Amino acid sequence: MLLQLKNIFKWVNSGGQRVFLLKDINLEINEGEFISVMGPSGSGKSTLLNVIGMLDTFDEGEYNFLDESVHNLKEKHRSNLYKEYIGFVFQSYHLLDDLTVQENLEMPLLYKKFKGSERKAMVADMLDRFNIVGKKDLFPSQLSGGQQQLVGVARALIANPKLILADEPTGNLNSQQSEEIMELFKKLNEEDGVTIIQVTHSEKNAAYGSRIINLLDGRKV
Amino acid sequence: MFRNYLKISFRNIWKNKVFSFINILGLSIGLSAAFVIGAMVYYDLSFDKFHPDGERIYRITTSFKSPSGEFYNAGVTVPLAQELHNMEMSELESVAPFFTAYPLYVENPETGNKFKRPDFVIYTDDSYFKTFEYEWLAGNEQKALQAPNKVVLSEQRAKKYFPNEELTNIIGKSIVYQDTISTTVSGIVANFEDRTDIVFEEFISLKTGITQDITNTMESGWDNTNSASQLFIKLTKNGSSADVQKTLTRIAKEHDNPEMVAEGRTNTYTMQPLADIHLNPLYGTFDFNDSRTTISALNSLLLLAVILIVLGCINFINLNTAQGIQRSKEIGIRKTLGSSRIQLVFQFLGETFLLTSVAAILSFFLSKWLLLLFSDFIPQGLTFDIFWNPWVLIGVIFLLVLVTLLSGFYPALILSKYKPVSVLKQQIIPNSDKGTMRKYLTIFQFVIAQVFIISTVLVGKQLNYVMKKDMGFKTEAIAYFRTPWRDVSYDKRKRFVKEINNLPGVTEAVLSGNPPASFTTMSMGVTYHKGDNEVNSDIQLLYGNPEFFNLYDLKLLAGRMPLNDSIREYVVNTSYLKVIGISDPMDALGKTFKANNEDLPIVGVMEDFNQHSLKYGVSPMAFTGSSYTDKWTQFRTIHFKLSNLERSDWSQTIGQIEAIWKDIYPDSDFEYTFMDDTVKRFYESERKTSILLQWATGLAILISCLGLFGLVIHTTERRIKEIGIRKILGASVVQLNILLSKEFLKLVLIAFIIATPIAWYGLNHWLEGFTNKTGLSWWIFVLSGLSMMFIALVIMSVKTVSSANTDPVKNLRIE
Ligand SMILES: Nc1ncnc2c1ncn2[C@@H]1O[C@H](COP(=O)(O)OP(=O)(O)OP(=O)(O)O)[C@@H](O)[C@H]1O
Ligand SMILES: [Mg+2]
Repeated sequence: MLLQLKNIFKWVNSGGQRVFLLKDINLEINEGEFISVMGPSGSGKSTLLNVIGMLDTFDEGEYNFLDESVHNLKEKHRSNLYKEYIGFVFQSYHLLDDLTVQENLEMPLLYKKFKGSERKAMVADMLDRFNIVGKKDLFPSQLSGGQQQLVGVARALIANPKLILADEPTGNLNSQQSEEIMELFKKLNEEDGVTIIQVTHSEKNAAYGSRIINLLDGRKV
Repeated sequence: MFRNYLKISFRNIWKNKVFSFINILGLSIGLSAAFVIGAMVYYDLSFDKFHPDGERIYRITTSFKSPSGEFYNAGVTVPLAQELHNMEMSELESVAPFFTAYPLYVENPETGNKFKRPDFVIYTDDSYFKTFEYEWLAGNEQKALQAPNKVVLSEQRAKKYFPNEELTNIIGKSIVYQDTISTTVSGIVANFEDRTDIVFEEFISLKTGITQDITNTMESGWDNTNSASQLFIKLTKNGSSADVQKTLTRIAKEHDNPEMVAEGRTNTYTMQPLADIHLNPLYGTFDFNDSRTTISALNSLLLLAVILIVLGCINFINLNTAQGIQRSKEIGIRKTLGSSRIQLVFQFLGETFLLTSVAAILSFFLSKWLLLLFSDFIPQGLTFDIFWNPWVLIGVIFLLVLVTLLSGFYPALILSKYKPVSVLKQQIIPNSDKGTMRKYLTIFQFVIAQVFIISTVLVGKQLNYVMKKDMGFKTEAIAYFRTPWRDVSYDKRKRFVKEINNLPGVTEAVLSGNPPASFTTMSMGVTYHKGDNEVNSDIQLLYGNPEFFNLYDLKLLAGRMPLNDSIREYVVNTSYLKVIGISDPMDALGKTFKANNEDLPIVGVMEDFNQHSLKYGVSPMAFTGSSYTDKWTQFRTIHFKLSNLERSDWSQTIGQIEAIWKDIYPDSDFEYTFMDDTVKRFYESERKTSILLQWATGLAILISCLGLFGLVIHTTERRIKEIGIRKILGASVVQLNILLSKEFLKLVLIAFIIATPIAWYGLNHWLEGFTNKTGLSWWIFVLSGLSMMFIALVIMSVKTVSSANTDPVKNLRIE
């Protein structure tokens, strides 16, 4: 088992009232799963993903990730944990505009203190795998949306994470580009055994996954 | 990692060219001011630090208390040295008296070469070299100055007087001062290599002086203090300075004249540490050509440097936190990719350091230029080379780190705080940042700028006031010069006056004492008996004759002039009448006052005039003829009035007078002064303050407005869409301009409200130092406030008008 959420509640106080963003979420995810999170806008999908990614906190409940009790961990350990095991893919790619494709790919490795030669090899390998060697010296603004997201996925993968969290990764892409990214996810999941949790609005994309989690008003349905 | 940061830094600096420019310029202004001022501080604090026992060396100085205040003299009474010597105090390792001398010329009789006015000549004995350690290049250190007619030269002087000789060969050769004082060179010492105020170059044995040129000075007693008579002492290793001071105080008391004490006049000796000599304005140093800084001047300058740096740092903080929104994306991404907050803080500090370093490089060039520009304010010995001194370089690096932390730390904290979740949630703009801190900082900047503006206006007004105000006597088209003091011939002076009087361009010339206002003043202590009461006071003396009185247009209120040039009769001014409590000038006529046990008659009363800077009031004064007719006469200065009022027409007449001078005094140089220039020189320090203030104001405005400009760019760009919508809805350029500038003008206004009382308080305090002062008029504040508003508005309009003018459709389409 990769991670387990038990009775997770998250709320905010607004005007003296408690507004629940997540309500009693129970979830178990095993290694190698490909999960799609669905639900109407405002139902708490991104919130759930952030909690799983440890970027956001929760108010009640237990969260275990690879035998570690996340709810008992200090901020610093938590960030070490997600640094090590989780890769993020964003709807609007979030590449650093001031860095080239190559430099963007290199960045997570810098924070993980890989040696220069190792970094070079890993970046070269990624560029090769994603077929973007020719683009390595371009800046994000010089790429199409699909190409940018390709780089985004490559960046999430480069440090060999166990889990990839993707919040509407194809939200800004046209259908052909979406399909390419989804095929890529599927391949990663099947061939490399990477666990993937994606948020999506599209039934078609959700179908790539092995399991669908539906949310409504912060509850699992 | 480092390369990655560096790359990001450079690209960021480059991408935000305008902001980087503002930051770099602001910081480099502050930094160059700090470099130059820091160099001055280092320079001035590094004097006389190299003497092996420097902390044990003291100069003994004198301070006098009298009814009119406290006075200081760098010298001591001559017998003090002998007395200390005889006491053989166990605390004293050496007692070194010396006399400063100013020979007119010195000759090498072998070559016949004459050298005019050698400076830094003293009469001293071997104890001097026991107090100050010199490196002896030739001669016998122990007994070099034991016998009369010996001289020790510095290496530089020796090489100057004996250009092609080996140093050892110079020993035994002779040099002759003023044709009469023949001396043999008995030693040569190396010049001090480090900065020093012990600048002497020629040391003539003390015994020579007794029979020669300075006999008078050297034979004076306990009642006479001359600054030429200097005394240095060196304590033993364990000698207590408090004990020595006690002894000195006792000696001073023993020799105080009881009559003087009764009049409230006492003197005491103080021990001035060697390290104190350079910056203590009370006693001065030995090099009169070099303008001296004081501790308080250095403190003001340091404060100025700090202010300019802080203003620059504020720009940095403001622009970077404002830009933070643009960078929050990068921060969020970096955090999700594994960066810790500390790493981000270091990244931002690194960027700040990079920017600061660029500013520092620019500042080095600016400093070089500033040193030239402000050469009037900077000691002569201070050159750009001082920056290669390792201590100064360490100081520079320390300053850079400090500035980096000061300007970078707050933005780094703010920026690194952004939560990555806000990026994931795509809420890129953190709502917490309302720019409150930026507002405070901007207000702070403008308070400073505003205080500077108000001060500049007031100081300018005051300076103008005192320079334009009537001194109480005539100054226009009057000049004077002193005849050579060694030439005692009264006839020559008389002849000179007669010849000037014959010149067509001169209305009148007279031979008298010092002009009515000058830097040299003579005064004596006097007692006035009023019934049983004694009024003790000091009275300043003005020596002259009726022609002199008329030349300067002084006004006689009652009585008459002294009957002749040498009779002891006095015309006192109304200020003295006030001191002795007489209101009607007529009542003073026929009264007497006492000085040196002599009754002196008051024969007339003159109207008050200012004898020095209008900063001070009018001193009690008495006008009289010369007290001596022989070589001690006070009539040594020739005053003349030019008939033409235009300065440009004077040069011909001056030329003619110089020709007469060359004829009568061929050995001396002709130096004359216009009365107007003397008056101007009274305000030298105020004029310098005013110039510095103008610069400080200009720079403070420049830095603050640059920052304001940056913030305006930032907000207008954020509101570009709003501007477009408003424009489509029909807003005019002026309306938009007001909309965009309003926020900032409010800050400037708040700054004005805060600055006004601060400036008022400070300036009131400053004005209190002046007896004659202009008012702190309300219009100074209004004018300064309006100028600040106007400048701010103009600066902002550069950006706001152009934004308001852009095609609204274009702005809206961007989204
Ligand atoms: N910090 C917050 N304070 C108050 N409410 C919040 C906060 N963060 C999120 N919410 C609310 O929580 C709910 C869930 O938000 P979330 O972003 O998870 O929705 P979502 O399912 O991802 O929607 P979408 O499909 O539009 O992305 C929304 O109603 C949102 O307004
Ligand atoms: Mg969402």
